[in-house]
Amino acid sequence: MQAGFSVTLVESPTVPIIGVGEGTWPTLRSSLQKMGVSETEFFRECNASFKQGARFAGWTTGAADDGYYHPLMLPQGFTQVNLAPHWLGNGSGRTFCETVCPQGQLCDDGLAPKMITTPEYEAVANYAYHLDAGKFAGFLQRHCTAKLGVRHVLADVTNVNQAQDGDIRSIETRQSGEIAGDLFVDCTGFAALLLGKTLGVGFRDCSDVLFCDAALALQVPYETPDAPMASHTISTAQAAGWIWDIGLPTRRGTGYVYSTRHCSDDQAHQTLMRYVGPQHAHLTPRRIAIRAGHRETFWKHNCVAVGLAAGFLEPLESSAIVLIELSAKLIAEQLPANREVMDIVAARFNDVGHYRWGRIIDFLKLHYVLTQRTDSVFWRDNVDPATIPERLKNLLLLWKYQSPWFFDEFDRLEEVFPAASYQYVLYGMGFRTEVAREDNAATESLAARLVRENVAVTRRMRAELPKNRDLMRKIFEYGLQTL
Amino acid sequence: MTHIVVLNSRSHATLRVHAAASAQYGDNQRFVPVVVSEFAPLALHYPILLSKDAETGEFYCGAMLGFDDAENLFLQEHKTLDAYRPLNLQRGPFYTSGSDLAIDLDHPRVAPSGEQALFEESGEPTPYLQSISALMRTLTPGAEQTKVFIAALLALKLVESVSIDAQFDDGSRRDVTGLYTIDRDVLRDLPDEAVVVLFRLGYLQLIHHLLASLNHVSALAQKKNRQFLPGASRAP
Repeated sequence: MQAGFSVTLVESPTVPIIGVGEGTWPTLRSSLQKMGVSETEFFRECNASFKQGARFAGWTTGAADDGYYHPLMLPQGFTQVNLAPHWLGNGSGRTFCETVCPQGQLCDDGLAPKMITTPEYEAVANYAYHLDAGKFAGFLQRHCTAKLGVRHVLADVTNVNQAQDGDIRSIETRQSGEIAGDLFVDCTGFAALLLGKTLGVGFRDCSDVLFCDAALALQVPYETPDAPMASHTISTAQAAGWIWDIGLPTRRGTGYVYSTRHCSDDQAHQTLMRYVGPQHAHLTPRRIAIRAGHRETFWKHNCVAVGLAAGFLEPLESSAIVLIELSAKLIAEQLPANREVMDIVAARFNDVGHYRWGRIIDFLKLHYVLTQRTDSVFWRDNVDPATIPERLKNLLLLWKYQSPWFFDEFDRLEEVFPAASYQYVLYGMGFRTEVAREDNAATESLAARLVRENVAVTRRMRAELPKNRDLMRKIFEYGLQTL
Repeated sequence: MTHIVVLNSRSHATLRVHAAASAQYGDNQRFVPVVVSEFAPLALHYPILLSKDAETGEFYCGAMLGFDDAENLFLQEHKTLDAYRPLNLQRGPFYTSGSDLAIDLDHPRVAPSGEQALFEESGEPTPYLQSISALMRTLTPGAEQTKVFIAALLALKLVESVSIDAQFDDGSRRDVTGLYTIDRDVLRDLPDEAVVVLFRLGYLQLIHHLLASLNHVSALAQKKNRQFLPGASRAP
């Protein structure tokens, strides 16, 4: 490669990939584009579809009509004015989401976030993807080896050789002998073979905050090949966790994420089978153990962990793949020129890593602490103050008097969840921030104009956007243009 | 609704067609699909641009005839044949079905009052129908040739979007979007071998027709502006 370095991917032919994790963030669009991937090929080969956010059903009260959207579009005029206090002060009877952004209604209508004439990676309404994780892994591997010059070695690691100073010098493999390197990226999954086993970096468990520690995953066929396909993830709260429901072009992916402290595997199985319906009674879910938490350090010596090797959290907000993207981006952009400066980059990486994992844990917990459900021990335990991180506790107190917004709290350049995400969850779940009418006066007319604009934009988008299923069919048939 | 049937002299012996240019017969099109084989005559009158098919997203070439929906600023000239009339307007209600000529019986042009008969009493095609057959022999393969040409442009990244922003004397503006043309910078920087390939295929000539035809945009705007002159009657 012209860059003065080469990348070798050592992949075990015997360890299967975990293969769930089907939700992503809009960041994946720019990541794929930057890698030179054709979006049309990606859709076709990864059985991918659009994701316009998530709908959380039953999280607040558990009633039949209880649900809210966490969309991917920012509230109208988000950089100019915070619409949340205006919405809170006006009591229009409309939800926060539908007042400030069109996307919830697009999802209700089963519409796609773009048209067949919209170029690859461009959006009418901001979107991410649902995808088949197994196919996606193979797709990326082929792209990286065929087009980006990555060397691919199929081999099992048998031993890791360290230098006197603790750096990793090389790995020994059963099939391909010894492979040396300057920087080792540990992508060995839960095993954390390099960072954990070899370098002894410990695991920071956070199951005291996030209780879910198992998942039952089940792929469900559509009734008919042209059945409507949701363009958002549906996440439905249950007695001891929640069920994900993701529409891919050829099947749905579902799964029950639950706490084994609050429900048995049998109960979980019954809950999931009840959700998918008796017509799928012959299907058998796959059980996946979840160990909520992350490494105490992500980059030590000349080894940095990415993906499950760095940690894992329940897939409530699709944080796994976005963290991989952000880590890969940081490593690529700050790739140390030599060993001497590596520790400086490592310190930065660790700083950012701790911040991100901390914010994600807070944000996931936010979905649980705002519940009003008391119908099961799981939900009652979740609001126990002892299980809520200090920082989140403080924010919840602060948010009683001021709503989260652009500049005040989530200020990182690549914040995983922007303040808008907190707004959608807080006000979607009935949280109230006290608003003084006079505080709104200065921006009253601007806010009113933006809300009217949102009505107009929503009307226009609903008129012009095609059904999600129809656009997917066209992408498979005609493809998207690159411009 | 369309009702397309294969044409034959027995069933359609008395069928008549309005062939003249007229808004009521469907010539009121702002942007009409064209084929590469008519680029040379088209480029004398119209901007030729690329656009995307709303159903498939695929690119096609078209002649720009107006700024607003259903606006063909050349309708008068087509009546007097001052301007070359694009094949897709000339074809009227006719289609091809394999090697056969077909007709849409529900097309407004098909009417007993039409000035053109299709068949002589002997059952022979009239000169008009013969001209349609000749036109279709250009149009049908032309559509395929145009697809191949566009694919070559896209492969070389020679297509770029262009926004046409026109201001008229009545104070109104039109920002026409969804149109594409040749990226001059990419064209200039093409490697020699690619240029030779384009030249041998005749594509370089077509590219220059596309680029030269853009000069007609301002003439088209002036044509529209004349509607706003005092005393001017609006074009039909």
